[in-house]
Amino acid sequence: MIFPELFRMSICAAIVIGFVGINALFLVWLERKVSARIQLRHGPLYVGWQGTFQTLADAVKLLGKELVLPKQADKFLYLAAPLIVFTPALALFLVLPIGPGWIIQDLNIGMLLVFALANISFLGIFVAGWSSNNKYGVLGSMRAVAQNISYEIPLLLSVMGVILLAGTFKMTELISFQQQQGWFIWKQPLAFLIFFCSALAEANRAPFDIPEAESELVAGFHTEYSGMRFAMFFLGEYTAIFVSSAIAATLFWGGWLGPAFLPPAAWFFVKTYAIILAVIWVRWTFPRLRSDQLMAFCWKILTPAALVNLLVTAFLATWIN
Amino acid sequence: MTLENTHQWLLKEGEGIKVQERDYAKTGYHLEAAVSEEKILPAAHYFHDQKFFLECLTCVDYTNKPEDPHFIITYQFNRWEAVERVLLKLKVPKQINEAPSIASIIPAANWYEREVFDMYGVRFSGHPKLERLLLPLQSKIHPLLKSYTGTGDSDVRNSLELIESDQEVFDFNVPEEMKTSRKEYYLNLGPQHPSTHGVLRVLLHLDGEKIISGEPIIGYSHRAHEKMAEVHNYLQFWPNTGRLDYVGAMSYNFCYALAVEKAMGIVPSPRVEYIRVITTELNRISSHLLWLGTYLLDLGAFTPFFYAFDEREKTLDLLELCTGERLTYDYFRFGGVLNDVPQEMIDGVKKFIPEFRKRLRDYRTLITENIIFIKRTKGIGVLTLDAARDYGVTGPSLRACGIGYDLRRAEPYSIYQEFDFEIPTEREGDAYARYLVRMAEMEQSLRILEQAIARIPAGEYQSGKIPKAVPACEIYQTVESARGQFGIYLVSDGTQIPYRLKLRTPSFSNLNALGPMAKGHFVSDAVSILGSIDIVVPEIDR
Amino acid sequence: MPPESVTQFYKIDDLVNMARANSLWPLTFGLACCAIEMMGTGAARFDLDRFGFGVFRPSPRQADVMIVSGTISRKMVPCIKKLYDQMPNPKYVIAHGGCAIAGGPFQYPGQYAILEGIDKIIPVDVYVPGCPPRPEALIAGILALRDKIKKGIPPAAQVVKVPTSSKEIPITPTTPS
Repeated sequence: MIFPELFRMSICAAIVIGFVGINALFLVWLERKVSARIQLRHGPLYVGWQGTFQTLADAVKLLGKELVLPKQADKFLYLAAPLIVFTPALALFLVLPIGPGWIIQDLNIGMLLVFALANISFLGIFVAGWSSNNKYGVLGSMRAVAQNISYEIPLLLSVMGVILLAGTFKMTELISFQQQQGWFIWKQPLAFLIFFCSALAEANRAPFDIPEAESELVAGFHTEYSGMRFAMFFLGEYTAIFVSSAIAATLFWGGWLGPAFLPPAAWFFVKTYAIILAVIWVRWTFPRLRSDQLMAFCWKILTPAALVNLLVTAFLATWIN
Repeated sequence: MTLENTHQWLLKEGEGIKVQERDYAKTGYHLEAAVSEEKILPAAHYFHDQKFFLECLTCVDYTNKPEDPHFIITYQFNRWEAVERVLLKLKVPKQINEAPSIASIIPAANWYEREVFDMYGVRFSGHPKLERLLLPLQSKIHPLLKSYTGTGDSDVRNSLELIESDQEVFDFNVPEEMKTSRKEYYLNLGPQHPSTHGVLRVLLHLDGEKIISGEPIIGYSHRAHEKMAEVHNYLQFWPNTGRLDYVGAMSYNFCYALAVEKAMGIVPSPRVEYIRVITTELNRISSHLLWLGTYLLDLGAFTPFFYAFDEREKTLDLLELCTGERLTYDYFRFGGVLNDVPQEMIDGVKKFIPEFRKRLRDYRTLITENIIFIKRTKGIGVLTLDAARDYGVTGPSLRACGIGYDLRRAEPYSIYQEFDFEIPTEREGDAYARYLVRMAEMEQSLRILEQAIARIPAGEYQSGKIPKAVPACEIYQTVESARGQFGIYLVSDGTQIPYRLKLRTPSFSNLNALGPMAKGHFVSDAVSILGSIDIVVPEIDR
Repeated sequence: MPPESVTQFYKIDDLVNMARANSLWPLTFGLACCAIEMMGTGAARFDLDRFGFGVFRPSPRQADVMIVSGTISRKMVPCIKKLYDQMPNPKYVIAHGGCAIAGGPFQYPGQYAILEGIDKIIPVDVYVPGCPPRPEALIAGILALRDKIKKGIPPAAQVVKVPTSSKEIPITPTTPS
């Protein structure tokens, strides 16, 4: 009885892991190329056509690097931290609706699971800096903790407006609601902006990349990581970006809905990567905020805005119905 | 008026101060006074109260005189309002080897006196923390003494010994109460750090992320320029001038050329003056562009770095046409310059000026009005006027506090008084004000360039044969470099080799003022403040 | 006749070397004037990122190449050695500029301030002469390093012996003035 399900799960797991690897390869290349073009230069050019094999070379090199374990580091936590960062992002693929009926597990609490799982990865960042026994690492970790805990609140609140209107946490029903009633971006534009900012902060991307602020903290929480362990942090970050953009595309931009000249799965990816391009664009345009200014932005601007948005949505929804 | 007052006060002090007037045009000083040990502290008090700033404090070694071996400690005071340079000399006999410290009166003297102790071994009684500044703490040598000609010991062996005993480099004598503190700790920013421009170490005493005190520790880039000046002759010192502040090297060439020309009484031809001004102003623009790119990189904006460097490459191309170098220029010579300026370069500059004006406007919209940039720089690192005077801060950092002290106006050299340009100032004294001042200065440099290009005359670019030996003299020559006042204090004994060549570099004093600027800010702000002071570490360490 | 399996190992080594050669991450480590030229080489006109060299890592644990650019003062030597020791293998060193090769213009008889060349305490793979070397020269040096790795030549860190203790070097007598 259980074997077909187990078999299906294994196939999905293999596909997801494979996809995550390829996605990371592609995203790193995309980021380096886009940032290079913004900065008046070429970016990777010679390793494969237009540098497409560059990330592969990076990955192979990182595999072959000597793994260092600082003598005074907390060994178990130090080794566990990259896994804690990477695995929840992987688990989020469980509820991503890629096409009509193409979802690994259409849970009733789909959206809720997304929030629950997304909040685990920051623990890995905290543990990484703490266990390295390095002052820079600890500073980076403290900043990461403050930042990630704070920004979960506007993230949640901004999505509540959408959930309120749709009345469900189920991913497929969210999309069918948009199919009938129009995409949520027209009804909840403020919520999308708040979600975008909060997702950037959750993924530790500039201008919210204080925990790994290169010019200030050497390398922040991953100062003492080398080789493949370091690569896991990056894999985790890029997977988180992909998943956040996919969620944004699903919630606000209709997911796999779109005109018929492209298959639905292709629309999903097009929208996701469009949002990822915006994420990359923002990173290379703005300077970094200071950590207390970041907190002020979250608590004094984003959270009140999200609350107001929720109230107004609730009011309008009751009034119209 | 105040020159008279100072002269009167020095005369009035009677025993212990012997004052003489000096010819400012020939020596760079107005007054010179020999003070005795008892009178140096009252004199320091007087100059501090009369709003002078300590420009330079150094030592000249006369211990090779068999009948009267002594050191001369020189103190140089000046004012912002009108140039009034007073040189005090304190004679320290060799067997006493000690002088009173004025560091408690004038904070700038703290580092200067430590440097004299480091280089000469002269102790200063009453100094709060007299230890070495530039050499490693466990060094046993005092290199600038005339009697020191090198140990002959292998530099590799010495380096390996330092590696083996590297306790002092990274460990710090943590006070007992701090060892159990749960909140306060020490953090080293540097020496290898992505944001410090060169090798600089700032020891931060932190409470969480708030800075209680920040102390810069220098010496990681000490390359013995001043000793090389005493070993090589005047011509051989030219490459050193290009490597002190490698980003704005033309001003340093300028100062050295002017100093020796002043000593020898050479007046270069008009074409040479124009060439010097054109290349110096182009270099000032490229130096400010480098500062802009690296400052924004420190703040986390990766893209303006590439735009600023792209513009800088254009200025480097122009300068390469006449000098042949991209970075560490030694283009000037005594009485002239090395090569003539080709017509290609003049045309290039004419084309460059309007393009760069347009790009400056772009920077204004992209950076100056960017809310995140304003939040990171406004109100950060405020430098009060008193602190600026106490530490001898000069350059754009001082002009951002409201004082329009620019040596191109205050002590005009070369042909700067023929040009029509403004001295931009701001009032707040924070990092944002320093940024605005430097952006405005680039515009003013463009103005000078325009006027110079339009009026450059034909003529000789070299003065012909000049004698190799500089007549005996003691002069001070100063120019306005991109970072502030750069001065050369030259003591010549009539030979081909300088007797003492002291380099008064602006970043030395400007960095000294980091302590009061960084107090109470966060770690991220320390990076922002360091970037806004615009230092180049090799000119601090020389 | 070598058996089949040996040939296959050789090919993977080739691939790994090629990957390593094309993805060298430098440590942000500028000491003096040459650092500005290194920054200029990474900037838009010369663009080191084309060769895979682009990502400058601030932490030595994540860097492969240490480009020692600038004069090495005596006070800085313990820091350099510590940074070098913290880099994981395989690691490479490029001596950028005259000062890192042999002391540069600051070397004169009786000098007290600098270490005349970084190869006296850490092994160097590529020397890039100049004062400062043009960006094109640095790129040539980096390409030379890339070729060296592709050929399978082991890094100098594993091959070259440098003195590690001050007892290995005899004390020379102090020359009288």
